[in-house]
Amino acid sequence: MYSREITIVNESGLHARPASDFVKLAGTFQSRIELKRLGEEKTYNAKSIIMLMSLGLAQGEKAILSAEGEDEKEAVDALAELVANLEG
Amino acid sequence: MELFGQPVSPGVVIGEVMRYIPFRPRLTEEPLSTADVPSALARYDQAKTKAREELDALENKMANDPEKAKIIAAHQDILQDPVMDEEIRSLISGQLVSPDAAIAQIYDTYAAVLRQSQNARMQERASDLQDVRLRLLRCLAGVPERNLSALPKPVIVVADDLYPSDTASLDRAHVLGIVTQVGGATSHTAIIARSYEIPAVLGVAGAMEHLSDGQTVILDAVEGKVLTEPSDEEIVAFRAKGEKVSAYLREDKAYLDAEPVTRDGVRMKVYLNIGAVNDAELAGAAHVDGCGLFRTEFLYLNSDHLPGEEEQYQAYRKVLQAFGSKPVTLRTMDVGGDKQLPGLELPEENNPFLGVRGLRLSLARMDLFRTQVRAALRASVHGNLKIMMPMVGALDDLLQAKAVIAEEGAALDRAGIPWNYDIQIGIMVEVPSIALIADMVVQEVDFISVGTNDLTQYLCAADRMNPAVRPYYQAYHPAVFRVLGNLARTFAAAGKPVSVCGELAGDPLAIPVLAGLGIHKLSMNLSSVAGAKRLIRRLNLVEAKALAQEVQNLKTAEEIKARLTAFAERTREGSSSIYV
Repeated sequence: MYSREITIVNESGLHARPASDFVKLAGTFQSRIELKRLGEEKTYNAKSIIMLMSLGLAQGEKAILSAEGEDEKEAVDALAELVANLEG
Repeated sequence: MELFGQPVSPGVVIGEVMRYIPFRPRLTEEPLSTADVPSALARYDQAKTKAREELDALENKMANDPEKAKIIAAHQDILQDPVMDEEIRSLISGQLVSPDAAIAQIYDTYAAVLRQSQNARMQERASDLQDVRLRLLRCLAGVPERNLSALPKPVIVVADDLYPSDTASLDRAHVLGIVTQVGGATSHTAIIARSYEIPAVLGVAGAMEHLSDGQTVILDAVEGKVLTEPSDEEIVAFRAKGEKVSAYLREDKAYLDAEPVTRDGVRMKVYLNIGAVNDAELAGAAHVDGCGLFRTEFLYLNSDHLPGEEEQYQAYRKVLQAFGSKPVTLRTMDVGGDKQLPGLELPEENNPFLGVRGLRLSLARMDLFRTQVRAALRASVHGNLKIMMPMVGALDDLLQAKAVIAEEGAALDRAGIPWNYDIQIGIMVEVPSIALIADMVVQEVDFISVGTNDLTQYLCAADRMNPAVRPYYQAYHPAVFRVLGNLARTFAAAGKPVSVCGELAGDPLAIPVLAGLGIHKLSMNLSSVAGAKRLIRRLNLVEAKALAQEVQNLKTAEEIKARLTAFAERTREGSSSIYV
């Protein structure tokens, strides 16, 4: 398993359009990918738009992004980069 | 035959009726047998594929409309969601739930999760889930998509109600007009109709029953009526009216951002009525002096649960921020026994409009009222908030409500939560008993806003929802203007403001009278703003005062309407008006 801490930088947070881009990219990897809010136990399937919206990460919040599988490192790194570059 | 409803998007058109009956699913209750599971899963897969193909086709069509394409793309994301997919499959194969019931159950579960979100945008996503759910269920039932996206000829669409999914693909070139049985000025359909400039009359009881496909009707979305079997003369007359209305509306647009100053230099105030709190509605803030009526019922009515303090706070903050430093007048919950709220068992009443509604309900359900007051006070730091209570009939109710507001303010102080101490407190004047003691009311409130729709219904003792007494519901009854005149005098003497936020405020015939009575704050729907400003700029207050005196002494509503029409004609001097 490979994990990284991410911070939401864009104003509208991780939902609507940004979330859509996120799950699309997540869906291209084989690994199981999960997100959880920093300090919380509950994990959310990062390939699910519904789960991301339920999680509702807002600007400034931190989360742990982790993946397990053959392409776990590529998946986490690519998604972390996407989050770091979100705008709007 | 004439059918009546609420005109929400102006215009007059003549055309053929097309009744629109969208797919409404009936869910299977019986469980599957184990042997059926593989074919059930296959049917679910086929439905999903079909739904995806439909969305693909829609997305291609919407290529030049980025806003709608975005909605369709969001629907694709939802349809392809792996978590929901897995849960639906496991319900089918593990619990032997039939595919339709499984889809409904899982989509409903997540729609409820989103609705409870603290984020208003997320809450709106719940309706996208409903749309995808319906599409999937229809594909599963093998019913082809019936929509309004490709109509063979121009028609007047008649429906019980239209969902966002129905209007998202609306064939604008072929929809002449819209008639629905449910909905009002703030409904989704109304907002879409106005933004597309399609004449629409909503809340037309019995429309689906009384109108048939292919029948020619006249839709008068100025007066709010549908005329069937028109004579040749009527067709000629209404066609001419339609052309006049269109020309007038085209000219109106130029006035949306004009200053509402009368010819003799009085700056009137034009405010917005809101109640849906979506982007389209809040964009109106740029064109007005503030929000004169913020209806908060949407929080209770479009939801399957009672809204908590945080959910309300977020919604109020959003509105206050949209209006910046401009005032926003929040009206506390105005519901009663004619509307059932999820999570709130209201007893049925024989006369709900004379029953436990508005502030009466708030005081009977103090928990709800206190939650709303706290949310509003907390939000007050984000803008210029005023609070008003609806359906106040006696001073003791008002005093009790003020005490609650003061107590909740003190509680926030103890908790160290900031709020704006200068919030003005006012009431809606709708009940004749409170209007008649205006001299005592004025000592207890900072302002009043007159809800002329309810005031008229109570003054005339005519249920405004009952078509049988429609002739008795007289918006121009002399009593209405006398009551308004009395309120305006009393409050002017005390130096406190009176505004009008009912239909009368946006009515081009009535505006001169209101101005003449000294009511210079008018709150209306966005669609009325440009026309009202245009009219105000042609108005001379000296003449308006004389008119106001005159109509208070005319004997019938009909006489008053004729007088107002004549005045309007003279005021516009040659330019046309949609009311003539």
